[in-house]
This record gives sequence, structure tokens and C-alpha cells, in this order.
Amino acid sequence: MIVLENVSKSFNGRWAVKGLNLLINKGEVFGLLGPNAAGKTTTIKMMAGLLGLAEGRILINGYDIVSEPLKAKSILGYVPDKAFLYEKLTSREFLIFISSLHGVEKFQAFKRIDKLLDTFGIKEIEEELIESYSQGMRQRLLFLSALIHNPLVLLIDEPFVGLDPFGVKMLKAMMRRLSSEGVTIFLATHSLHIAEELCDRVGLISKGSLIDLKNKEEIVIEGGLEGLFLKIPL
Amino acid sequence: MKITLLLLSPKIKSIKNSINLHTLMRRLPFILIGIVFYLVFYIGSHKILSFIRSMEFIGEILSKKLLSMTFFSLGIFLLLSNIITALSSFYMSKDIPFLMSKPIEIKEILRLKTIETILTSSWMVISFMPPFFIAYGINYDAPIFFYIFLTLTFIPFILISGGIGILTAHLLTRIFPVRKIRLALLTIGLLLFLFIYLFVKSQLPVDLESPERFNHSFFATKIDLPLMPNFWMTEIATASLKKQMPDVLYLLLLLSNSLFMLMLSDRVGQKLYINNIERIQPSTRDASRGRRYRSFYPSRNLAVLWKDTKIFFRDTSQWSQVFIIGALIFIYVYNFRTIPLKLLSEFTPFIKEIMVLINMVMAGLVLSAVSARFLYSSLSLEGMAFWIIKTSPLTVKKLIWSKFFYGFIPVTVIMLAIVFITNMIIGADTLLMFFALVTVVMLCISISGLGVGMGAMYPRFRYENIASVSMSPTGMLFMLIAFSVVLLTLSIEAWSFYFYKKAGTSGLSLNLSEKTQLTLAGIVIIVLNILTIYIPMKKGEKRLSGDISI
Repeated sequence: MIVLENVSKSFNGRWAVKGLNLLINKGEVFGLLGPNAAGKTTTIKMMAGLLGLAEGRILINGYDIVSEPLKAKSILGYVPDKAFLYEKLTSREFLIFISSLHGVEKFQAFKRIDKLLDTFGIKEIEEELIESYSQGMRQRLLFLSALIHNPLVLLIDEPFVGLDPFGVKMLKAMMRRLSSEGVTIFLATHSLHIAEELCDRVGLISKGSLIDLKNKEEIVIEGGLEGLFLKIPL
Repeated sequence: MKITLLLLSPKIKSIKNSINLHTLMRRLPFILIGIVFYLVFYIGSHKILSFIRSMEFIGEILSKKLLSMTFFSLGIFLLLSNIITALSSFYMSKDIPFLMSKPIEIKEILRLKTIETILTSSWMVISFMPPFFIAYGINYDAPIFFYIFLTLTFIPFILISGGIGILTAHLLTRIFPVRKIRLALLTIGLLLFLFIYLFVKSQLPVDLESPERFNHSFFATKIDLPLMPNFWMTEIATASLKKQMPDVLYLLLLLSNSLFMLMLSDRVGQKLYINNIERIQPSTRDASRGRRYRSFYPSRNLAVLWKDTKIFFRDTSQWSQVFIIGALIFIYVYNFRTIPLKLLSEFTPFIKEIMVLINMVMAGLVLSAVSARFLYSSLSLEGMAFWIIKTSPLTVKKLIWSKFFYGFIPVTVIMLAIVFITNMIIGADTLLMFFALVTVVMLCISISGLGVGMGAMYPRFRYENIASVSMSPTGMLFMLIAFSVVLLTLSIEAWSFYFYKKAGTSGLSLNLSEKTQLTLAGIVIIVLNILTIYIPMKKGEKRLSGDISI
């Protein structure tokens, strides 16, 4: 479960996010939608502990990301929009590193790494340095690394950047499965069809403030997300 | 050229936009340190020059020789710097794919990269050297045209090194397997450096026990060959220093050679660039050599150290300064064999103690430089992948300590080896050796902490070349502070040791006041070193716990 209470953040005196309140339930897939520079990435970075909060608080399964960052981060999986990775490691080494950081026990870690490398189609290139990977393979590896420690909450910024249709299909299925297993998924995106297809609820954000909140049924009644999105004041 | 200027405009505008009152105020301490450095460098150069010129008969010749050696060293430095920068700028820069995708002719990209390379690799010489040349001008009471000529001739001097450097970078990229370029280059650089050193050394068949022979050998040094740009520069500068009109031939030689080298590098670039760019596209590289260690799994506390060590051995770009530092250490240790201890012992009975002290100061200088590379840059090395650690359940404190050990272990091993070997050469007794080694370990701990702490306080995750991190203004500030701590620690120690030895040789035991003073000195040393590690580590931890722009 994720709770955002009156969350605000400013840069150089300008509010990037202002008074954001959200409650996302266990196993829910929530999409935060908005135009460019609406505050989506800032919100997700605050939730991941990359940025501090000017006001308010964020709880990840009851753990405050500011006062209990280690507990919150140990159950978080984060997939950023840009795939900056350690270029001189192989994917296997990278995953060992991530597992170790999360304190996953050795035997469990190796078992999960083997399984996930296979599922994500990276097994064949696991001994190659990441620097030689295509954008799509990097994105797959990013997803994989976010799942290595069995997170209870998954934060994803622009989920399908650079992925081919096979990758997109595989990840959609993966997200649905994770959600059915009780993993809370928070997506920040401006891709309407992905949000419509995957999300149980969608929040519309503009200029750092939440302007609308709709569930699946309401979106269908209102004729899809496009109409709602285009009404967002720029 | 119009297109080249257009391509340059974003960089010029970026610099312009980054200069404002707020930035200037933030950088005020660095500006002040820079001014102090200028003053110290100027005063030092002036004093040395006055001393040299006051020598009967040989003063003027020595002064010219010093000028010639300076131009020679600058030329070599510029050349190596240009080759390394050209490789990064022409072939590894992040804007290349963008530029290649635009309807721009290759020659325009080459021109842009040439300007970038020459400016990037020469700024340090341009900004560091004025106090030295001003000291010359003032010492000789030179006319204004000395400064004008020097400024004007410096431009072609820099362009010649730039042209040769860029040309070499194109050829190296063509000849060597792509992933081995830097390694090949660094090996060449190191060999070149050692060759120059041994060449100069061979010109100096020095028996340092005899000052006359030293002088004779010094004059015989043949680095000022008439075909070299440093010779032309020396001739121009010397003539204008003495209020004479420089020989036009040297001016023409500088100008024509700079144009020729630039044109040649441009022509070769146009011929090779596209092919070279294709050769450096990422290719698959199997790292399966590590397969037999597949079962290794680091603990959480060791994870970062394990990752950093693996990356270090694979990323040759991290080795550039290590090679140069390695060469400097080799020369430093090698030179100890030539110290005329016997001759010097006639001047003072404490010659061994003084030599150990000088050795420690020199080792401190090496420690500051090595720490800048291994420790100050270690956090910035995370680069844009820092989000991985920042979003993991690893405390910043553990991260910083992991970086501390990543640098501290090799730095301490290197420093202990240097001090031990050089002290053995000096013939230091057991007590001196013990003090020296304990001091080295203590300084390694504090300077390592200072390096990691300051690196965390001023992280630079967006860099083109990791060498630029330790060469940044804050990197320089780290080196200055580190060396100051070394000097302060050694000064107090030297005073205490002298105090203790003097009492020992006079046969009197220390009284209560003297014992108190020695104890206080010890406390001051310990407190100084504890603060050196504690304050930056704490501040760095606080900085990295806050917002990070990645």
C-alpha cells in the first residue's frame, strides 16, 4: 500500500508538486498521467527516496520513506525512465550486486537470477557487458533488477520505453501477475493506451497538482482517457 | 566556419548561462584560493629566478635553461593532454551520435571537436602559467612587448601540440583494436614519459658529489634542439626579455608549423573519421573469464567494493592517471639513489632526519595526487547509475565507508612501499622508520577520509572523462587541503622529533614543561587528523542524503 499525504516539492522557489494526496491499495495498479513537466517523475523520485520532500509524507506499506528509508526501500522496486546502468558489469554481475544490496540470501539470489534471466530473455547474453546491450535489453534488465528481491511495491517511470512488442507483451503479463499476487504497482506515464489497459485507477496531474482521479469503470463511461487527458489545463 | 560557430554556440551559451552572481559567490572560496596560489607561485618563481641570476658567470645561462626546460615540459604535457582529450572528444563524446545525425559536413564536426580538444587540454597551462612568466618579465624588467609576444606565440605553440595530438588520436583509433586504444595510448604515453626522463638523465651523467660536474652536466642537457617548438619559444622569449626584437624566423616557424599541423590533422581526420566512428560502435564482449568465480556472492557490506573493483579492472579509462602517477613514483624512487648524502652530511649532522622529512613531504604530495584519483573521484564514478544505490536499502554511511576502503587499501599499500623503500635507501634507523611508517598510515587514513568526504560533498555524476573530476576546481581544492594537512602534521612531528633528539644528544632528560609540549604536539596531530576525516565524511554523508540531480 502507498500513501501520499499532502506531498509537495519545489525547485528554485517553483512548485514541481503541490499538496498531492493519494492512497493506493495493495495489489492495485495505479497510473499517474499528465503532460510533460506535470510532476510525474518528481513524484515517483520522491517515492523512491531519490528526492526529499518539502512538505507532507510518503508511506510505503506503512514505512515513511524519509524517516524509515531502509525499511521502505527494502520492499520497493524502482524502474526509472532512463536506463543508466553499470556498463562494465555483465547482467549476471549486475543482478548479483543488486541482490546483495537488498540482502537476498545467496542461494535464493542465484535461483531467482537464473529464473528471471530466463523469463526476461536475457539468459543468452548474461555474460556480456551491459555496454553492448540494446535499449530494449537494458529496459528488460532494469525491470528484472527491480524484481530480484520480491518487492511489495513497484514504482515504474514510463514503463515501455525502448521495448519491442514481445517485451511489452511479456511485461504487461508480468505486471498483471504481480498485481494478482498483491504487489502494488505505481506507473508514471503519458501513454494513454497503457494506462487504460493496465491501471485499476488513474490520477491526472498537471502543474504538480492532482486534478482528477478515475477508476476503470469511470474511464469507460467517460469514453476513454484521451478526452480526459485533453481537458487537462496546460 | 559559420556552421562550426553555430555548433559551438550551445557550449558558449551554457558557459555564459552558468556565470551569474550566485555562482560567483559560491565559487568565491575557490577564486580566493586561486589568487593565493597565483601569488605564491609568482613569489616563488621570482625568488628562484633572482637566486639563479645572482650566480656569477652562469646565472643568465641557467635562467635561459630554466625557460627552455619549462617550454619543453609544457610542450610534452600539452601533447599528452591533447592526445587523451582528442580520443574522448572525437570518439567517445556523448554528442557524436547527435552531430552525426544532422545534415552537417564531417569537416564541420572535425573543426568543432578540434576547438573543443585544444581548449579543454590547454586551459590548465593557460591559467596556471602566467605567474611564472610574469615573474620572468618583472625580474628582467621586460618591456610590454615581451608579454604581447609571449601571448601571441603561445597560441601557435598550443596549436602545434593540438594538431599533433589530434592527428595521433585519429591514427591510434585506426591502428589499434577499439577497446584497447586507451590502454595502448597510455602505454605509449608511459613509455614516452620514461623515454624523455631517461633521455634527459642520460644527458646528465651526474656525479652529484661534485657540484662542478653537476653544473657542467646541466649545461650539456640537450633538450633545446633547434627543430623543436620549445626552442623557438625560448629564443623569442629570451630576446624580448632583453628588449631585443625576436628573430622573425622563429615567429614564422611557429605560425607555419601550427597551420600545417592543424591542416594535416584535419585532412587525416576527413580521411579516417567515418571509418573510425564505425569501428567504435559498441560490440558484444564476453566477460566469461569470470565464470569460474560465478559462485562468489558478496555480502551487503562488501557489495559496492566488489562492484567497484570489478569495474576498475575492466574500465581502462580509469587507468590514465594511474599510469602517470606510476611513472612519477618510479622516477621519484629512482632519484633517491642519486642523493649525495655523504656530501650533504658535511653541512648538518641531522642529514638522515632531514632527508626522511623531505621524503615524507614528497610522499605526502604523491599521497594527495593518488587520493585525488582513487578517493576523491570514487563517488562520482557511480555516474548516472547512482540512482541504483540511492534507491537501495544501503545507508549513505555504508556507501561512503565502502568507497573509503576501496581507495584506502591500495593507497596505503603504495605509500607504505614508497616510504619503506626510500627510507631504506636513505639508511633511516629503526626509530625513524617506525615513525615514518606510522605517520604514513595515519595520513593515509585521514587523507582517504578527506578524499571520500569531499568527493561526496561535491559529486559530479555527469562527466565525460573521470580524469576531469579530480582536475576540477573542487578536486584541486581537495589536493591543496590534503597537502596542507600533510605539511602541518609533518611540521609538528619534525619539531617534536628535533626536540627529542636534541635532548638525547645533549644527554639531558626532558623536563615536565618539555614533556607537556611534546604530549600536546601529539594530541594536536591526532586531533588534526581525526578532524580531517570526520568533518568531510559527515558533510559528505549529509550531502548525499539530500537531493541528487541524476
